[in-house]
Amino acid sequence: MPYPTDPLILSGAWASVILTLMVYSYVLYKENLAYRFTEHTYISTSLAIAVVVASQTLTSNAFLPLSKGDISYVIPIILGLLLFTLPFRQVRWISRYPLAFVVGVGTGLAMRGAVHAQMVAQVLTAITLPKAPQPVDWFNFFFALIAFLTSTSYFIFTREHTGFMAIPTKIGRYMIMLALGSYFGNTILFRMAMLSGRVEEILKVFGIIPWR
Amino acid sequence: MSKSIWSKITDVDRRVLYWVMFIALAIPFISPLGMPVPVTEMTKAVYDKVESLGPKNIALFSIAGGVSAWPEIAPSMVAVMRHLVKKEVKIVVWGFFTDQDITVDMITSNVPELKTKYKYGEDWVYMGYLAGGETAVAALASDVHSVFKADKYGTPVEKLPLIQRVKSAKDIDLVLTVDTGSYILYYVRHWNVGKGTPVAEIGIAMQADMVVYYPANLVGLMIGVRGGAEYEKLIGRLGDGTVRMDAINISHLLFIIAIALANVGYVATRRKK
Repeated sequence: MPYPTDPLILSGAWASVILTLMVYSYVLYKENLAYRFTEHTYISTSLAIAVVVASQTLTSNAFLPLSKGDISYVIPIILGLLLFTLPFRQVRWISRYPLAFVVGVGTGLAMRGAVHAQMVAQVLTAITLPKAPQPVDWFNFFFALIAFLTSTSYFIFTREHTGFMAIPTKIGRYMIMLALGSYFGNTILFRMAMLSGRVEEILKVFGIIPWR
Repeated sequence: MSKSIWSKITDVDRRVLYWVMFIALAIPFISPLGMPVPVTEMTKAVYDKVESLGPKNIALFSIAGGVSAWPEIAPSMVAVMRHLVKKEVKIVVWGFFTDQDITVDMITSNVPELKTKYKYGEDWVYMGYLAGGETAVAALASDVHSVFKADKYGTPVEKLPLIQRVKSAKDIDLVLTVDTGSYILYYVRHWNVGKGTPVAEIGIAMQADMVVYYPANLVGLMIGVRGGAEYEKLIGRLGDGTVRMDAINISHLLFIIAIALANVGYVATRRKK
C-alpha cells in the first residue's frame, strides 16, 4: 500500500506517533509535561467515547423498547438513575440498593457455572489418564497431578505445615511460584507485543518501512 | 576503586536497556528474519473447528478487547475472520468494549469480503456494544432478543434475518471470544457449561495458561501475536502476525540475555562482598 496522501489519515498517523513518543518519554525521563498531556488526552478521549456509546446503547436497548410500550424497562432505568445519588452525601444510601442488586445478580450468575467449570472439570482433567500416551504425556500427567495436589495442600490452614505436611506444602509452594513465574513471563510477552506495535507504527509513519 | 565488569553489568542505566530494546524491535521490521513459527495444537484446534463449519452454521464473534490491544490480537482477529468468510459461515458480532466500533472498522477494512461478498443482515450482523459484563453474557445465552432490540445501526431485530435465527446460545455453532480479560470465563460458565455451545478463545499472552484450566470447556486457544501468526500460516495467507513474530522473538532473546547477565552479575558481585 503506498504512503497515504489524504491529510486526514496523515494527521491521524502523525498524531499517533507523536503521542506514542510523548508517552514513552515517561520510561526514559520519568514524570514530565509531555507524558502528563498525553495521559490526560487519552483519559478524556476514552471517557468521551464511553459516554457516547453508553447513551447510544441506552437509547437502543432501553428507551426504544420503553417508547414502544414495554414498561418493564422503567425498573432498570430507575435503578440505574439511583446510582447517580452516590456523589451526594445526604442521599448516598439510596445508591446501595441498585449496587446490591448488581452485586447479587453477578455473584449468583458466577456461582452457577463456576462450580462445574472451575472445580469439577479441573479435578476430572487432573485425574484423567492421557489417551494414546507418549512418554512425555505421562510426564506431563504426573507433573500436573503432583502440582495440583501439592499446591492445593499448601492452602490447608487447619493443620500446621510440619511433619507429614511439610514436604507436600513446600513442593506446593514451588509449584505456585512456577505458575506465577509463567504468568509473569506471559505478561512480559504481552507488553513486548504492544511495544512492537508502536515501533512498527513509528517506522511506518517515518517512511522507513512500507505502509501496510 | 574501579568497578568490575560484573558490577557494571548489574548497574546498567535502564534508559540504555530501553533504547537497545527499541532498536532490537525495529530491526526485524526493516529486515525480516523469517524465523519459524511452529503451529501449536491449541491454534490448530481452533482452525479445525472453523474448517468444519459451513454456510449453514453461525459463528459468534464476541469482542471483549480494546483498540489498545490491537498489536496483540488484531492479527488473530483478521486471520480468523478471513477463514470464516472463506468458509461462508454466518457471523454475528457483538462486544463489550466501548471502542469496539473502531475494531469492527479495522476488521471490515482488512476483510473486504464482509462488504462485497457478504450481505449485511443475512450473512453477518453487528449488534453493537453491550454493558453488564457477566450478567450480559448470561442473559444473551438464554435470550438474545430480550437483550438486543436493534443492531448497532438502529435496525430492529425483526428486520435482521440472521439474528432472527439466533434466539439463544443453542443457535450458535461456535463462539470466538476475543478477550483481554475475563470474558472467556463468562462464556465458559454460561454458554459452554450452561448451554453446551463450543467456545474458542482469541486471547492475549497472559491467557496462555487458560487452556490448562479449561481443557474440557475450550475448543482451542489462540495466544496473542503468536496465535495470529500460526493461524495465518494455517490459512495460507501471511500477514501482520508473521511479520511481528520476528520482533517478538528478538525481544524475548534480548530479555533472556539481560536476565541471565543480571543474575550472573548479581551472584558474582555478592560473592566478592
